[in-house]
Amino acid sequence: MKKLLAVLIACYALALTDLAAAADNVIRIGAIYPLSGALASTGSELKAAIELAADLINQTHPELKGVAIATGSGLAHLGGAKIEVVFADSQGKPEIGQAEAERLIDQEHVVALIGAYQSAVTKTTSRIAEQRGVPYLNPESSSPELTERGYKWFFRTTPNDETFIGNMMQFLDTLKSVPTKRIAVVYENTDFGVNTAKAVEKFAKQARREVVASIPYSAGTASVSSETQKLAASKPDVAIFASYTSDALLFVRTMREAAYAPPVFLANDAGFIDARFVSEVGPQVQGVLTRDVWANDLYTIKPVIKQLNDMFKARSGGKELNGNSARSLQGVLVLAEAIDRAGSTKPEAIRQALAAIDLSADQVVMPWAGVKFDASGQNERGQGLILQLVGSGYNTVWPERYKQRQDLPTVPFLAWKH
Amino acid sequence: MKEAARPAIVRSRGARVVAVVVLALAAFPFAVADPFYRQIVVMTLMYGALGAAWNLVGGFLGRVSFGHAVFLGLGAYTTLLLLHKLGLSPWLGIPAGGLIAAVSAFVVGRPTLRLTGHYFAMATIAVLAVAHVLMVNWSWAGGAVGLEAPIANSVWLLLFRSRAPYYWIAAVLALLTLWATYTLARSRAGYYWRAINGDEAAARSLGVPAERYKMLAFVMSAALTGIWGGFYAIYVGFVDPDSAFSLTLSIQIVLVAILGGVGTITGPWLGAALLVPLAEGMRVAMGGSGKGFDLLLYGLAIVLVSLFLPRGLIALRLRRGAAPG
Amino acid sequence: MLEALATGLFNGLIYAAVAVGLALIWGITDVINFAHGDFLMLAMYVAYWLFTLGHVDPTLSAPVAACVLAFVGFFAYALIIRPLQRAPAMIVILATFGLGLVLRQLAFIAFSPDYRNLPDTWLSGSIRLGDISLGRPQVVTGVVALAMIGVLFKLVYRTRWGRALQAVAEDRLAASLVGIPSDRVNAQVWMLGSAAVGVTGALLTSFFYVFPSVGAVFGLLAFVAVAMGGFGALPGAFLSGVLIGIVEALTGYLVEPAYKTASIFLIFLLVLWYRPRGLFGRW
Repeated sequence: MKKLLAVLIACYALALTDLAAAADNVIRIGAIYPLSGALASTGSELKAAIELAADLINQTHPELKGVAIATGSGLAHLGGAKIEVVFADSQGKPEIGQAEAERLIDQEHVVALIGAYQSAVTKTTSRIAEQRGVPYLNPESSSPELTERGYKWFFRTTPNDETFIGNMMQFLDTLKSVPTKRIAVVYENTDFGVNTAKAVEKFAKQARREVVASIPYSAGTASVSSETQKLAASKPDVAIFASYTSDALLFVRTMREAAYAPPVFLANDAGFIDARFVSEVGPQVQGVLTRDVWANDLYTIKPVIKQLNDMFKARSGGKELNGNSARSLQGVLVLAEAIDRAGSTKPEAIRQALAAIDLSADQVVMPWAGVKFDASGQNERGQGLILQLVGSGYNTVWPERYKQRQDLPTVPFLAWKH
Repeated sequence: MKEAARPAIVRSRGARVVAVVVLALAAFPFAVADPFYRQIVVMTLMYGALGAAWNLVGGFLGRVSFGHAVFLGLGAYTTLLLLHKLGLSPWLGIPAGGLIAAVSAFVVGRPTLRLTGHYFAMATIAVLAVAHVLMVNWSWAGGAVGLEAPIANSVWLLLFRSRAPYYWIAAVLALLTLWATYTLARSRAGYYWRAINGDEAAARSLGVPAERYKMLAFVMSAALTGIWGGFYAIYVGFVDPDSAFSLTLSIQIVLVAILGGVGTITGPWLGAALLVPLAEGMRVAMGGSGKGFDLLLYGLAIVLVSLFLPRGLIALRLRRGAAPG
Repeated sequence: MLEALATGLFNGLIYAAVAVGLALIWGITDVINFAHGDFLMLAMYVAYWLFTLGHVDPTLSAPVAACVLAFVGFFAYALIIRPLQRAPAMIVILATFGLGLVLRQLAFIAFSPDYRNLPDTWLSGSIRLGDISLGRPQVVTGVVALAMIGVLFKLVYRTRWGRALQAVAEDRLAASLVGIPSDRVNAQVWMLGSAAVGVTGALLTSFFYVFPSVGAVFGLLAFVAVAMGGFGALPGAFLSGVLIGIVEALTGYLVEPAYKTASIFLIFLLVLWYRPRGLFGRW
């Protein structure tokens, strides 16, 4: 009899502690991003976007019609539990990111991880998540290999380079006024650049285009004169760039001074959509095209885009949302949605909820068909956009149904003909 | 000069200190369950060992090398490449990494060891930079994308899901490194090294086979660093040219050794024991804010320590002890 | 090909300009200043803010940057280098590394990690010489670098003060025995070397982006230039800088831009193979 009482008391105590934990009502998510180092400027934008997402979830925002999880306060199925994002600095290094992933799991007791922007850091951090059985949501890394590792706990909301470069080819198909057969790809010699180049080789062949020059360069180099000269010498119809902000700035500068520009100047996101790039050299590089995932002018189709952009601007000191920050925001929303649907903070429950999640176009803030992960953890419903820089910001020019201004795109690129 | 003159009682004190450290290492994981602290200890052991290995060239021989990461990178890549391409276990891959590193040190050592002081330092950076570029462009070996180790839980593959086994591997390797550096320093090689460091011309005239012993220091240092490179590969599970052939990593190794006390056996370990937890602690406390204060304080700490302890942390012990300066 | 060589030449002059200040400090006070790149970064920020807030063109802010950096150099010497004179040589490496990190982080905190770029300034645009198009900022910076190096050369090799510098560099003890105030000379060298970096940094802003870690981009090349030229030889650092620029351009044009860095370092190793003290090194 006494034993039974003891057991009952123990169970009761256990239940109470569980309840106590739930009554704390905070669910912690770990976010690993480059908050220092060369990519810190992007990292800080992503942090701001994630903080905005957490705010959307935790506070009531009845004005946001397109974001179901934002209308309530906290996670409904978990008693209104709030999401707390614990940030960690990867310093841009895979081994530091990994150490932080471990710490977030072991010490900060996060129920899931998001990160890490850079593919190399995503690899090492998601490895830890896979080893420990913790769900990992990757909102921004585009390297196709990340979903080719056979991981069970890794989920990626962003489309990868295969989709993006495919989108680029489809866009090029729509350009009738200029030839688009000869493609040159200029890319930084890192995971990001190499994957872009590989995808370009693959899809150019399929689209019956020819890669006339493949020009890798060292990121953060002091001079890109040789690369520019090589590009000019290969006389491409289209030049595709995979560069982060610093090199993007340098290339623009160098090409202007060399008075050279490819007829179709197409960037693969990254540095070319950086707020600083747009504000600092925007006027000089009007007409540049870029693949992106987000465009602020799409608010006529999706009003929530403008609402979110305004909220973000208020937080980030005037910077606009771009493909990077918007994806991070979307990632947190998807993760929170999954945790909510799981109704539990147990890793396996969250994982199953993620695997089963099925969001349609009007349930996501991105201009995608929705979110549904395939067997390898890749979201099948994402897609890219092609934007053109006109005036002070980027305008959507592809897919055609999203185009706001019918006079765009203007090709060839003539910003600095002498 | 310092070690040879020590009386026997101090030597046995050294042995006792080592015994205490070994016991502490063995007991630690049972006393402290938090994996985060365990991870810090592993990193401390790694950097301490790397510093100790570097010390053979930088401290005893007196040639500052800023390119030591090249040996770490070679060891790491060898281990993962053998695993990927030949299915060879890291049990063999890690020593192979050390061997490859040693061989490359032999090749690279010929032209570089003739150089003195600053030239040698810059030459090592050059070697590192060339290796980095080559690895970035070598797609068979992963290129810019790098190599990942498979996820596994097998003693045969030395890959585990939990971090605990790595602690023991690191501890064993650390003791091995300590033993190796200690033995070398006290051997004839160590004696010759110090002679060469003091005055190479004089040493030669006294019959010291300088060339051979300079090369020995370089090769041994590289071998140890390469072995730790193999460990790094299985611990992090991922290598790419930026992380494995990193100038920053090279500099960290030098910092650890200098901070602790160049040219001493225990110096690098002390240096690591300060720098690694300091860096980790700062990052954990302040890194998440993204404001940059953690690195600022880290930099300030380095400046202050160098100003107030110019001989390194080892000076603290020497001051209290009876050993001559 | 000609354009490649021309751009290479002017890039080389820029590398030489960055290297020259380092050559002075390293060559004469025998200190590897790991914070050299970060000194450059500070100069760039000075020019950036003077332009953004005061519309002062970088060419005009160069003297201002030089003065600011001279102060920085002086304080670096007084607070860090001088106290460590009697310490083992290597500890200074640690100290300057820490200094560089501190400067970088202060810039990070004060100015945010955002990349900054100056819009068109006086110097913008290109210069066309036949088929070749060169950036005007690069050409002007190159010419100024040349002038600056000429001035420094004159100072170090043709004046009495310069001879004092060389004496201190060769043998500090002996120099002080003959009455040369080596401490004061060292401070002056730090100030002069830093001022040189200040001028270069200001001019760089007219065509290069600025952010807290920009020092790393040029810093390493400066180190290689100084070592390749030989310690204690200012003309060596200058020539090496130019050589680096040309090698870089030729490799990019004839081989592959991806191997630019490798060929620079390979050439460096080659030079050391045949001349273990650099091209013109005295010690």
